[in-house]
Amino acid sequence: MILLADAIDTAIIGKGLMIGGGFIGPGIGIGLIGGNYLQAVGRNPEAAKFLGQALVFVAIVELFALLAFASIFIVTK
Amino acid sequence: MNLIATKFIAATGPVTHIAPSALFYFHGLTITNSMLYGWICIVFMIILFVWAAHRMTIKPKKGIIQIIEVIADFIINTIETAFEDKQRARKYVPYFVTLFFFLLFNNWSGLLPFANDAFTAHGAPLLRPLTGDLNATLAAAIVTMIYVYVSSIRESGSFRKYLSHFFVGSPLNPMYLVLGLLEMLSDFTRVISLSLRLFLNIAIGEIIVAVFAYLGHAIAPLSAVAFYLIDMFDGALQAFIFTILTIMYLAIVVNHVTAHDEHEDLTDGATPETMGVFPQNGEVA
Repeated sequence: MILLADAIDTAIIGKGLMIGGGFIGPGIGIGLIGGNYLQAVGRNPEAAKFLGQALVFVAIVELFALLAFASIFIVTK
Repeated sequence: MNLIATKFIAATGPVTHIAPSALFYFHGLTITNSMLYGWICIVFMIILFVWAAHRMTIKPKKGIIQIIEVIADFIINTIETAFEDKQRARKYVPYFVTLFFFLLFNNWSGLLPFANDAFTAHGAPLLRPLTGDLNATLAAAIVTMIYVYVSSIRESGSFRKYLSHFFVGSPLNPMYLVLGLLEMLSDFTRVISLSLRLFLNIAIGEIIVAVFAYLGHAIAPLSAVAFYLIDMFDGALQAFIFTILTIMYLAIVVNHVTAHDEHEDLTDGATPETMGVFPQNGEVA
């Protein structure tokens, strides 16, 4: 009897799920940061000078996406 | 031309490197390719900045010196705005400006055509960027955080006063004790998050360039050039973020010190200053 897990390379499925799932959160997070930054600039154009601070938070959020990306090198069958 | 071709066109699958590989051994020490390139960058930096420092004038010059001046001025301004006291901020300028330039040069070093797979020794690339190596970024984060802790303790006055910053009230109150200990624990994760952020951004940036060069096949330079430019932006951004985050970690403690009286006992459990808790009976804190 051939097990399904033997026939399919589960590591590839795992990597795909990891990338897909791991990128959702940071994607939403960076979208929120960018959207709120633009909203702030729209309300008050003086707020445009806070782009540097917005980018700092983008980098903080981005770390979790990169951790998901790095994890695909650890997963093997 | 050949150098650029080996950078962009990967023949058999995307070639990726995560770990540094040993080049040679020196008295029991392993010299890796990232260390070698790091030293080359450091020597280049020293020569460039000594050369630039001898040519600095009050009236700005054109060219490379002006660019260095503008970047250094930008970092100095960032440090001075982070601290409430400019005189206090001036003390920390040399370390953080050096840190920024060190990271910037090492981040960009991996984008040069002779880096990575252009030259190989024993099947491993001869030169890899220093910040694309977790050992190097971890060392940078540890050294920087030790500097931040030592400076924080010196600014606070004593070790006991430094520890008292973690507690909003008296540590004898079990809730404040747990909150303070959690705060201390999250303080130690900064080393890990700083080093991982820098390493992953640089290493994965190179992997993505390699992957898109592989996908592009015959038109590899065209498909990879967009990610190459993103890498350039990202290298500068990560150097800035490493610097600004460590400045903020230091500024939080320093600004906390200046916000209080010198002789005020912060461990006094009577009035917590933060968390929206206000004293009862309408008395003014």
